[in-house]
Amino acid sequence: MSQGSKPLIQNTKCDCGHQNPTGTVLCEACGKPLTEEAEAQPVLEMRYDGVARRSQKANPGVIDLVWNFFSSVKVAIYLILFTLIGSSLGTIFPQESTFLNIDPSVYYKEEYGQLGHIYYLLGLSHTYTSWWFVLLLVMIGASLVICSLDRVLPLYKALSRQRIPKHMSFLTRQKVVYQGPVEEGGIEWVERVKPIIKKKGYRVRTDGGTLLAEKQRFSRWGPYVLHIGLIVFLLAVLGRNLPGLYMDEHVAFPQGEPVHIKNTSYYLLNDGFKVEFYTEDDMPEEFKGKNKVLPKEFQTQAVLYMCEANCDDLDKDPELVEVTRHNIEVNHPLNYKGLKAYQFDYDLTPILRSVSPVLVNSKSGKEYGKITLSINDPQRKYQAGEYTLTLTQTYTDFGLGDNGKPVNLSPNPNAPAFLFLIEGPDLPKEGIQYFYFPKQIDKERFNQEAINAQLAGGEELVSLDVLSMDDVDFAESTTYLNIRVDKAMPFIWVGCFIGMIGLIMGFYFTHRRIWLRIDDGILTLGAHTNKNWFGLRKEISAIFKGMNMEVDEKSLENNRGNKHESN
Amino acid sequence: MGKSKKNIQIVILLAIVLIGVYAVATVVFGSDKVPKVGQKAADFELLGMDGNVHTMSDYEGKARVINFWGTYCPPCVREMPALQSQWEKWSSQGVEIIGINVGENKVTVENFVAQTGVKFPILMDPKRNAVASFGVGPMPTTFFVTASGKIDHIRIGELDLNTLDKQIEQLVNAK
Repeated sequence: MSQGSKPLIQNTKCDCGHQNPTGTVLCEACGKPLTEEAEAQPVLEMRYDGVARRSQKANPGVIDLVWNFFSSVKVAIYLILFTLIGSSLGTIFPQESTFLNIDPSVYYKEEYGQLGHIYYLLGLSHTYTSWWFVLLLVMIGASLVICSLDRVLPLYKALSRQRIPKHMSFLTRQKVVYQGPVEEGGIEWVERVKPIIKKKGYRVRTDGGTLLAEKQRFSRWGPYVLHIGLIVFLLAVLGRNLPGLYMDEHVAFPQGEPVHIKNTSYYLLNDGFKVEFYTEDDMPEEFKGKNKVLPKEFQTQAVLYMCEANCDDLDKDPELVEVTRHNIEVNHPLNYKGLKAYQFDYDLTPILRSVSPVLVNSKSGKEYGKITLSINDPQRKYQAGEYTLTLTQTYTDFGLGDNGKPVNLSPNPNAPAFLFLIEGPDLPKEGIQYFYFPKQIDKERFNQEAINAQLAGGEELVSLDVLSMDDVDFAESTTYLNIRVDKAMPFIWVGCFIGMIGLIMGFYFTHRRIWLRIDDGILTLGAHTNKNWFGLRKEISAIFKGMNMEVDEKSLENNRGNKHESN
Repeated sequence: MGKSKKNIQIVILLAIVLIGVYAVATVVFGSDKVPKVGQKAADFELLGMDGNVHTMSDYEGKARVINFWGTYCPPCVREMPALQSQWEKWSSQGVEIIGINVGENKVTVENFVAQTGVKFPILMDPKRNAVASFGVGPMPTTFFVTASGKIDHIRIGELDLNTLDKQIEQLVNAK
């Protein structure tokens, strides 16, 4: 690794002639301990193979300092700790987002007292969407990226540029060590042992009387692959905030009218709603005889449309094309290209949509003609035979004001009422006023007949009557669906999958290396693994056995630097 | 080598800063999209009683008084004549008064407009789109928007007719 900056304090040039970067613990070429600390270790610390992390520089600039901050594992642990403390603070009182309609500035004080108010003022009532919490998450992400890069790149270089001959002090200070005499010359012995080691699954390289055997190096990349998975996961969660990627809304669908799903070009029609109730016999004991109504199953026959034209035109109806239909039940949502509609709730109160009454002569009963009156969007004029009906006043929720005059109480069609001016044959020239209440209950409540008699000057001349139930159009029920879009979800799964691969790489495979050299008939062997030392010793013992040498597994363990003598 | 390494560091740090700023900005400003006093007023696209589509940008450069109302809301009905007389006074001086009817049908609104003699533009919001984007709660609610499009003041509830004139004057001067 060449570095732009010159080493100032530490002399990093090894005896073997290799120039190491600042912060190197073990010479990149021959493995000789370079620092006093490493020199004093009876068994070498092999972390990152003793190479310098990228952030270890002699004279760091501003960018390096920022980089160094995030490259520290200590900082990462503090960040995680702060995030943990922060997220637990958010669980003391319920978060604002759990309420549908509250004023948090009042609610927390009323419900939880002064402490609750302080909680609100500190912004803890929306912990997970506070700037500091998200900043902590972003910093964890940054630390994840930088920590990984800072270690993985030097480690990759060190492992791909390994030299075969190693310094004696590197070999004898490994955790697994063997030293003993061999009878042949170095090169012959190495050539003889090579196929035996290869058989154990190692890749073997030799250089004269020295050898390096290595297997499953990829397991060293496991943690970094896991980090990549976590980063993909974090980015996907952040990406949910992008427009169009995430939606979670509850929408009412009255039967028979397509309802636009906001921020999409889809319309969903409730084409019929079925509900089945438990009979008295099926009910649990505690509900019996209490007049309880328990639904057993409910189903929305949904039709999904895509808007093809006139979608944003306010004065034209949109042109809809059916794309799919599905019977939505609990746990069986409609799913179309990532748009999901889950059954959530229902309301069996019928909603009147339109009525088609006939204009009749009140005395003779003669029918003049039928009109179709839409409750929500009536026309100005209607024609019933020779009679013209002009709407002069409409009410959605008819009532009487303080001064006794008719008023509209709400925009909801609870008690729709219509005041017509009717003109035609046998009526006074200026026409007569006629009040019409489409709902039977309102007709009686407001005494429609008496009002109209009074308006006509004594007796009712004509009336609007609905002759059959076929002339009444109403939505039998309303279904409530939970509409969800989560386009970030596939990326979350991809992140999890990558993370899982990393975990498997790191957990189920071990990176094992064996170095050996023969100097003047003395074999020196050192070996390293990142876990399962027992397995490594066993493997080496078996290799020696293949060379007709009996070496006890336990004796291979480096006992605080005391060299073992072979038997 | 050293230089390209530094560049990679800078690129990575920059990407982190960008993502961080974006993430923090979306939670701080994104969760509550309803504009507040001092912020730019929301846009709308609504059908007017004149049969034309009206948008917020149609009124750019004018001080605007945007009143959300309904015939079912007695204080809304009471303050209509005052809004009409203010419109007569101020419309020549670059002030527009806009009434947005909430959730009613055309015939109902037409009848009401004819009976009260309202002449200023009345728009219809049957699906409550503008109600949502302006964050209107109880009615009436009136937004005072400056010529540059910023919300100067939000009045929730019946207008104070004694100070309405002064308020519009302030709005005109707030340019």
